[in-house]
Amino acid sequence: MALTHAQTDCAAYALGERVPGNVYAPANAAELTEILRRCDDAGEAAVLFGGHSLQAFGNAPQRFDAAIDLRGLDRILEHEPRNLTISLEAGVTVAKLDAALLAHGQFIPLDAPHPSRATVGGTLASGWLGPRRATYGRSRDFVIGATAALADGTLAKSGGMVVKNVTGYDLAKLYIGSLGTLAAIVSANFKTLPLPAARRVALAALPEGTRARAAANLAGLTREPAAALMVRGFAEIDGRPGAEGRLLVLLEGSRRTVDLSTRELRSALGSAGVPETRLLDREAGATFANALDAYVALVGERSATFRSGGSLDDVAQRAALLADAAAASEFEIETIEDLCTGDVVARISAPSTLQFRERLGEFEARRRAVCGGARVLAAPQRLRALLEGFSDVPPSLATMRALKGRFDPRSTLSPGRFVGGI
Amino acid sequence: MATMEPGLHERLIGALGTQGVLTSPEDLSAYAFDAFVEGELPAAVVLPADARQVSAVVRIARDCGHPVVSRGAGTGLCGGAVAGRGGIVISFARMNRLLALDSRNRRARVQPGLVNLELSRLVAGDGLFFGPDPSSQKTSTLGGNAATNAGGPHAFAYGSMSAHVLGLEFVDAAGDVFGVSLDDCGYDLTGALVGSEGTLGIITALEVRLLRAPAAVRVCVAAFGDVEAASEAVSAIVAAGLLPTALEVMDRTIVRAVEAHFAAGFPLDAGAVLLAEIAGDAGDVADWENTLAAIAREHGALSWRSAASPRERDALWASRKGAAGALGRIAPNYYIQDATVPRTKLPRAIRRVEEIAREFGLLVGNVFHAGDGNLHPLLLFDRRASGQLEAVAQAGHAILAACIELGGTISGEHGIGSEKRETLPLVFSDDDLATMARLRDAFDVTRSFNPDKIFPSGAVCGEVRAAQAAIPAGAWL
Repeated sequence: MALTHAQTDCAAYALGERVPGNVYAPANAAELTEILRRCDDAGEAAVLFGGHSLQAFGNAPQRFDAAIDLRGLDRILEHEPRNLTISLEAGVTVAKLDAALLAHGQFIPLDAPHPSRATVGGTLASGWLGPRRATYGRSRDFVIGATAALADGTLAKSGGMVVKNVTGYDLAKLYIGSLGTLAAIVSANFKTLPLPAARRVALAALPEGTRARAAANLAGLTREPAAALMVRGFAEIDGRPGAEGRLLVLLEGSRRTVDLSTRELRSALGSAGVPETRLLDREAGATFANALDAYVALVGERSATFRSGGSLDDVAQRAALLADAAAASEFEIETIEDLCTGDVVARISAPSTLQFRERLGEFEARRRAVCGGARVLAAPQRLRALLEGFSDVPPSLATMRALKGRFDPRSTLSPGRFVGGI
Repeated sequence: MATMEPGLHERLIGALGTQGVLTSPEDLSAYAFDAFVEGELPAAVVLPADARQVSAVVRIARDCGHPVVSRGAGTGLCGGAVAGRGGIVISFARMNRLLALDSRNRRARVQPGLVNLELSRLVAGDGLFFGPDPSSQKTSTLGGNAATNAGGPHAFAYGSMSAHVLGLEFVDAAGDVFGVSLDDCGYDLTGALVGSEGTLGIITALEVRLLRAPAAVRVCVAAFGDVEAASEAVSAIVAAGLLPTALEVMDRTIVRAVEAHFAAGFPLDAGAVLLAEIAGDAGDVADWENTLAAIAREHGALSWRSAASPRERDALWASRKGAAGALGRIAPNYYIQDATVPRTKLPRAIRRVEEIAREFGLLVGNVFHAGDGNLHPLLLFDRRASGQLEAVAQAGHAILAACIELGGTISGEHGIGSEKRETLPLVFSDDDLATMARLRDAFDVTRSFNPDKIFPSGAVCGEVRAAQAAIPAGAWL
């Protein structure tokens, strides 16, 4: 069996300070299991790669001998549009998946940043959480089956191609969000949704003193938006930063609902003192995609981005605490407050890489004090050692360790990458 | 058995008090079966009041070498909540409260014994409801629903339990109490526990997602000449990208039984009836009904009407959910099967079910979650008639095999339990099952939680016994 083995581009797969000695690029499941078995036998630590877009997640691996690039597993295996299901290999890009579904008026709300690079397998393994999840559900809720390759070369499937299933354990749930530490997702089966007939982005600049009222009025809408983001900074989304920030609301549904929602939204914002709401119809998709990209976009090597999840009750408060922590470290901060999910995304930056590196430690101490559960979404690989992948430890860590022990007893897959050093 | 273990009973009573422990054979016998399977008499039944007591029970069971089986309302249909070989049954009848409601974030924290429908009733005042609605929802509990990843008619729009459980508190095999949550970092243990049929841990609390009640709801009834035509219409509705909140089909046998019992107004002359629910903005609902009705007519619908009042709507749903119970009028016994096929295969699956029933000389009633491709054929028979029980067992197995052949699977929402464990190898390879066993061993290497469930009896060490066509010895038909 020909195993692709390119020494030349190892640097492109560096994580933290570590550069792998080998890069493998399997073309199919059989080659992948063979590579995994060899790594497992040889005691080589292997890290799985997709489109590199979310590799800042988790800790830097403790050992890293081989990179396994899964982008060669790029086939759509089965697409039955009338059934609203699709099965595809892990290396298929999210853009390719989106295009295949769009042709039949369907979608899966993965909300992955950089969809032309991001792979379906990587998006699942990272446990990516998009802003539309309050409306449509999480990625995990759309996965109806999966095949995974374990470190010892075992190929195991679970679930199936049906939308309702309680036949055996739902192993896909374990792989989703595991950062590739339990098994390599080889293929995944999804249920899909029909695309809404209409989609609109409403943008509104928020004059001073209107933020709290605007947020409160939005919470009282009878027709709920698919996403509602209060943005400060992140000029790349729409080219209009605005000191007090602005509101980006995504409306999806029938034409009638979107029009009614627009009217209701305008009135809610008007009564909060927001004078103008700009509507984007044709550019709605592109603007929303810009927002998703912004979640993981860095300002050179002098920035990093965090996500703090939590209750809708304290979104503004968490954003303010993070802003205080940034100010105390003399960092710039840009924030996205998600008014549907409770997420706060914060990008901090310094004028220079040197200043950023110098002050990152003290900022981290402050951030942990005010926002302990926040996790890294994006960071320069060279600064990984300064950032904690997980600042909280789940109570059931012992069970998680036992799982790792059962699925990957030799710690071949990304050792140390996961919570608690798993 | 009960009188043979005074040590066990004393320890349980010491931990839970006399009101929390049942030991008399009469009491125990009430817990020896579910809605379908009759198992063994447990050594004891406990009714803990909180997670601490559950933990104490698990520790005592471990010390005494007893397996532990957790049980909600006992409405399961595949033996999941029945002790296969004695042991301690934990009933959650006393842990049945809503612990906290967070309307803003649309979450509720509940005890596992809270009845499914009760939760929706308790949060209705806040304009909220709970999505999954198994037909047993008037009696089945949220803990049991989570264990079997239950769905119900509205799973079509809202998904099964796993999409609605955001976190759990559970007692592990060592007796320790843990909280897991989708909000935590780490592996999705919540997702692993939901649908694991009580084999990984004992759920002592659930954090669930609530949904906002839609502005308008309409329930429509269409009559078709036969089940195939109704199934074709359902496939076409799904393929057209319409998202009703439920799409249910009942055949003539079921409709007649249901009408005799409930008189909700289903057409008696139809070969099959489609029950469709649409929810959303009032204007959308009116539009969608028109589109739905047009598709139904294209596929041979003989009539179409919508419920005129909320009362009529509720009556239609009550009779749909009470369908199985109404069958007592037709035959003394029935055997309900649960299988799922890709939605486009629904008409073929229904054809196969009818062929199989004919082949075995059995009357079949079809009532199913058509939108999800989830079949529930009910094989009707009289167990006193010689050979009928065997015919039912063989027909049931043939139906499962046919669904697998069509790309489907052997349980959509009831679970594997003890009933289908020997059929599991038709769906999964030795490697698949061995990988699932790794998950089980990570949680409970002693396999003391609900032993003899899900995994085929020969599955230890990768040996998988050939599947058998059998109804469990104690089936409650």
